[in-house]
Amino acid sequence: MAAIELEGLTKRFGDVVAVDGLDLTVEEGEIFGFLGPNGAGKSTTIDILLDFIRPTGGTATVLGHDAQSEGLAVRNRTGVLPDAYHVYDRLTGRQHVEFAIEMKGVDDDPEALLERVRVADAADRKAGGYSKGMRQRLVLAMALVGDPDLLVLDEPSTGLDPNGAREMREIIREENERGTTVFFSSHIMEQVEAVCDRVAIIDRGQLVAVDTIDGLRDSTETGETLYVYVSDLDEGVLDRVRTLEGVGTAAIDEGRLRVTVDGVSKFAVLHAIDEVAPVQDFSVVESSLEDLFVRYTNESQEVEA
Amino acid sequence: MTWFTVAKKDFRDAVQSRALWALVAVFVVFSLVSTYAYVQVPEMFGSPGGATFGGLLFFTLGITGLFVPLAAIVVCYKSLAGERELGSIKLLLSLPTTRGQAFAGKVVGRAAVLVFGLGVGLVVGLGFGSALLGELEVVALVLFVLATLFFAAVYASIVVGISATTGSTSRATTLALGFFLVFELLWDVVPMGILYVVEGFSFPSTIPDWVFLVSQLSPSSAYLSAIVALLPDLAASVGADPAQTGAGVEVTAADAEPFYTSPEVGIVVLFLWFVVPFAVGYYRFNGADL
Repeated sequence: MAAIELEGLTKRFGDVVAVDGLDLTVEEGEIFGFLGPNGAGKSTTIDILLDFIRPTGGTATVLGHDAQSEGLAVRNRTGVLPDAYHVYDRLTGRQHVEFAIEMKGVDDDPEALLERVRVADAADRKAGGYSKGMRQRLVLAMALVGDPDLLVLDEPSTGLDPNGAREMREIIREENERGTTVFFSSHIMEQVEAVCDRVAIIDRGQLVAVDTIDGLRDSTETGETLYVYVSDLDEGVLDRVRTLEGVGTAAIDEGRLRVTVDGVSKFAVLHAIDEVAPVQDFSVVESSLEDLFVRYTNESQEVEA
Repeated sequence: MTWFTVAKKDFRDAVQSRALWALVAVFVVFSLVSTYAYVQVPEMFGSPGGATFGGLLFFTLGITGLFVPLAAIVVCYKSLAGERELGSIKLLLSLPTTRGQAFAGKVVGRAAVLVFGLGVGLVVGLGFGSALLGELEVVALVLFVLATLFFAAVYASIVVGISATTGSTSRATTLALGFFLVFELLWDVVPMGILYVVEGFSFPSTIPDWVFLVSQLSPSSAYLSAIVALLPDLAASVGADPAQTGAGVEVTAADAEPFYTSPEVGIVVLFLWFVVPFAVGYYRFNGADL
């Protein structure tokens, strides 16, 4: 059974289409990244999963339950870190976690949960005085109450410093190893890259790609870039390199050859270049997913424009 | 049963609000001062025959009738609109509950806050009064306090219901104050205004009975009538008459009194003021995009 299944999901606010016919399946046990620029429709989609807002068309099924008509069943098994939430300023961190425990009808130890997200020191302070990062940790602790089968995390690393973001990823992995499906959104590719099994890229309410990280890399021409130092680099060498098999693009960049590899191994390309002009040194740069993300989201904008 | 957990959390949250404690303090001080004034100079406060415990109750009723709506607005106007505006509603509704349970929990939690604050004020004020008078009518006191606390719960339902219809606290404030203005401050003239319009923009020589019913429709008139219905002997002894509304026009019921001119109708109206805003607030909240 799929953890999350969206079919033709559409949400309009007036004449603005926030989510436009989204079809998406997240399998049980996956860590799934939901990626897109700000305003792409990520939070709207998540809000529909949690029944904060009602779709204009299509259906959202979470853990086998319709998100709208059986929301209680969904939330019984789901831990949530929402976006743009606000804590109860006058209640302490511990009271927040105790509230979640009571609402979920379980008997978790609030201390252990607060310990796990590293806000135990501030457990008896009012949450209104917490920093953004502490609030984020506190709400994560609330999400972890009752060992949910699904974690929905909307921009989980917002407000966290690099250490905090790393700890967040560790918790995500630990939960996933217990069998929890994790669905989280982000507009920062590298966070998704570090933990996700699969990602979906959404832009302007539409899905532009769904694949594994490697799959996304492979599906775009900008796979890898080689920087090659050769003796006697000139235009003639460049022209001959361009004609070599497996060379996508080639250019002279700060006294080096910059070559993108297309369809063959790096080694084959290096070997071919070596025959044109002796190779002295080289380095390999994998295209960052950041580039890829920019590429996907910009392309679709150009299509629409 | 998550509504109970929500109510408990809400109560815990709200009792830490300084505004609430300021309100309780004001009410306690005000009820002490006014009780003292009533006992010293009852002639000025509608008891020419001297201060009695019944007189004190009906005098207090005049104060609570105004205090409860204002306190309810202060305590409840942000209950749901504020959570929506800030986003804490997302924290609440991410948990395994429904909007109905969350709404019910809010009404109960805020009602508990009001009942608590009002209860403290009433016990202090009436206790002080009965000590000064040296008399105490336990049954009347209990009925009066219970009816007043129910009136507070009714107003919690009204204002939380209003708060549930919008995601903006400024709109919730406007709606709550508008409600107060129309149903509490202007309601004396509204029935006459309706009569004026219905009769073709002139006043008839006799006031029809239904005007009395309309004048009973405001929550605090219903509260007064309900108390008269619950304590008929005491009401008769102090001359409290729920029909003394209507911009100075004496509404005297005809010989064959229709059922709706009896004070018992106040109890029914009060129940409706609990149920209808609850239903409307729930309906609007349940259908909203948060």
